[in-house]
Amino acid sequence: MGAKVKIIERKGSSLIERLYLIEIAKGMATTFGHLFRNLKDNRNLYVRHYPEVQPEIPARWRGRHRLTTHEDGTAKCVACFMCQTNCPAKCIMIEAGERVDGKAEKMPVKFHIDLLECIYCGYCVEACPLDAIRMDTGIFSVTDNNRESFLLGLEELLATPGACSEEEYKKGGA
Amino acid sequence: MADKIKLFVNEVEVEVEAGKNLIDAIGAVGIEIPHLCYHPALGADGNCRMCLVGIKDGRPPLVPACKTRAMEGMKVLLDAEHIKKIQHDVMEFELINHPIDCPVCDQAGECKLQDYYMSYDQQGSRMTVPQVTKGKKLDFGSGVIHDQERCVVCGRCVRFCRQITKTGELGAINRSDDTRINIFPGRPLNNRYALNVVDLCPVGAMTSSDFRFKQRVWFLKKAPDICHGCAKGCNITIDHNRQKYEDDIIYRFRPLFNEQVNGYFMCDEGRLSYKQENNGRLTEARTSNNPRSINEILAASTKEIERAEKIVIALSPNCSLEQMVTVKALSDKLGATLTGYSEGYIKQGDGDDYLIQDDKSANRAGLHLLKIDNSLNTFENAMQEADLLLNFNNELTLSFEKRELSRLLNDTKVIAVTSHDTPLTAMADMAIPVASYSEYAGSVVNSDNILQSFGKAITKNIDLDDISIIAAKLGSPLQTPAERFAALQQIISALNEFEPDKIPAEGLNLNNSEAANVTA
Repeated sequence: MGAKVKIIERKGSSLIERLYLIEIAKGMATTFGHLFRNLKDNRNLYVRHYPEVQPEIPARWRGRHRLTTHEDGTAKCVACFMCQTNCPAKCIMIEAGERVDGKAEKMPVKFHIDLLECIYCGYCVEACPLDAIRMDTGIFSVTDNNRESFLLGLEELLATPGACSEEEYKKGGA
Repeated sequence: MADKIKLFVNEVEVEVEAGKNLIDAIGAVGIEIPHLCYHPALGADGNCRMCLVGIKDGRPPLVPACKTRAMEGMKVLLDAEHIKKIQHDVMEFELINHPIDCPVCDQAGECKLQDYYMSYDQQGSRMTVPQVTKGKKLDFGSGVIHDQERCVVCGRCVRFCRQITKTGELGAINRSDDTRINIFPGRPLNNRYALNVVDLCPVGAMTSSDFRFKQRVWFLKKAPDICHGCAKGCNITIDHNRQKYEDDIIYRFRPLFNEQVNGYFMCDEGRLSYKQENNGRLTEARTSNNPRSINEILAASTKEIERAEKIVIALSPNCSLEQMVTVKALSDKLGATLTGYSEGYIKQGDGDDYLIQDDKSANRAGLHLLKIDNSLNTFENAMQEADLLLNFNNELTLSFEKRELSRLLNDTKVIAVTSHDTPLTAMADMAIPVASYSEYAGSVVNSDNILQSFGKAITKNIDLDDISIIAAKLGSPLQTPAERFAALQQIISALNEFEPDKIPAEGLNLNNSEAANVTA
């Protein structure tokens, strides 16, 4: 048979309700009740006192990107372009060059992420064969006055540290 | 047409050409037999064993497809279990010592090992012993970089140097898993076709230093074209890409197979000539170094042409037939002297008996076909009296010393319609930028009298008109592409049976049909 149909009784047709003012007064009583209770003690309010109180960012949170480094500080990235290929927003722009630190053969000379175009989907992290790009900085809000500063460069991406420990990050499913 | 024979592939009857080996014969009807060492230009070597196929009721029952001729009634097995096992095992062997550095390998995306791994293997390595390490990033000379670890020792490069260039710089040394391709000490690759080994290499062992790390190949868009580096007119694939916020840039030329012109290969000089399409281009119209809009310059040029009494029109031997016929019509209308004089494009003794020609222009045969004069005498005599030189991309500084050219151009106004910012453009009173050959469609006739047409491959951010459109704007009677083609059809009778854009891809050999036409 068809879906269950529940007929809701329409309210507002009794005399007291149709008088209107009584119902208004009832509503106001509820509103002012909340107001005075919260004025006395606001600890039970369901809002966060942002920005004084920052949210807790879990390790799995996809925040602003960073490029990871080897222990000696050289970039793990070998400019394979997997992230750029996979990026649905086409916000990653890489230029590759000959590696100079002896780690592999290839490294990025330029690595730009346009944060205004990024949709924070995390496909770049997923595509990376070397765990060189992560979104674990915990930075969830990027603000500035001009467009240019939203174009992240190689130095900026390498300089930002991760917000959580390696174990926590791994636990997050990476 | 060659004879057809019928044989069975996986119990399905197919009709293939007779006299070919199984890879080529069955490949022509769209069924691929995996192979690494076989290349149609280099012949069968049979060392990779990837192309082993089963022959039902055959003796022997298992044969390398590259060395086996297709025969009537043959029952070829490609997807039988034992064949799949062989392919799988061969792939496992090839990958034992492979470094799997695909992220940094330029071949990734067009690599046979990658393709075959996905089609025939798809398993992790079972090896527990350390891999054999070999030399990486070895400079073999001529812009070839070799990685011995990626190499599958198919020997295509070795055979190319022995059979095609006959220089024999490469060899395979040592045995078994220690085999590696190398040059002789102190004797790098030194031939003018060396970069073909990069295309030939089925894996990433041979890479080009010029293309190294420039682009991942899956970003590149491919467009067929004709190389304009010399009169041979080799067929090429232009690999180009428009990166975000940037212009459409050519990253490399690769040879495109055309049996009657260049076969599978092209020379290094032509291959690297893509740089001239990217760099040194004239992009804005100008009068004696002041930038102007193209329309302004065109209007000024039209006035100059009206005012001039004796006009000389010079035409580049690189122009397409369509451009030549349009400029010729313009010249006839203006009563000007049309010249294709371009001695400087010929480098005497530079050519060889394979692909490279002395003549570094793409369409000199076209000049002859359209009966455009290209003698020095006509040009010099005409220039004596001329007061306006309308130059269509003919780089006269190649043909004349600078002082001599200044003397010739003395008291002559020069309008240069040019694709590149050359010394002649600098001498011109007015310069109009036009598209270069990768940016327009047209046809050229090569040194063997084969007419080949090519399409527009590149669309720049500033999409310039080509010479025929500029000539039309300057008053040529041939205004539309259809009119140009009709005019060509009147001159080249072989074109009569074709519609524009329908000229066969392998080119049109004019030798037979044109003989009658020229004498008439």
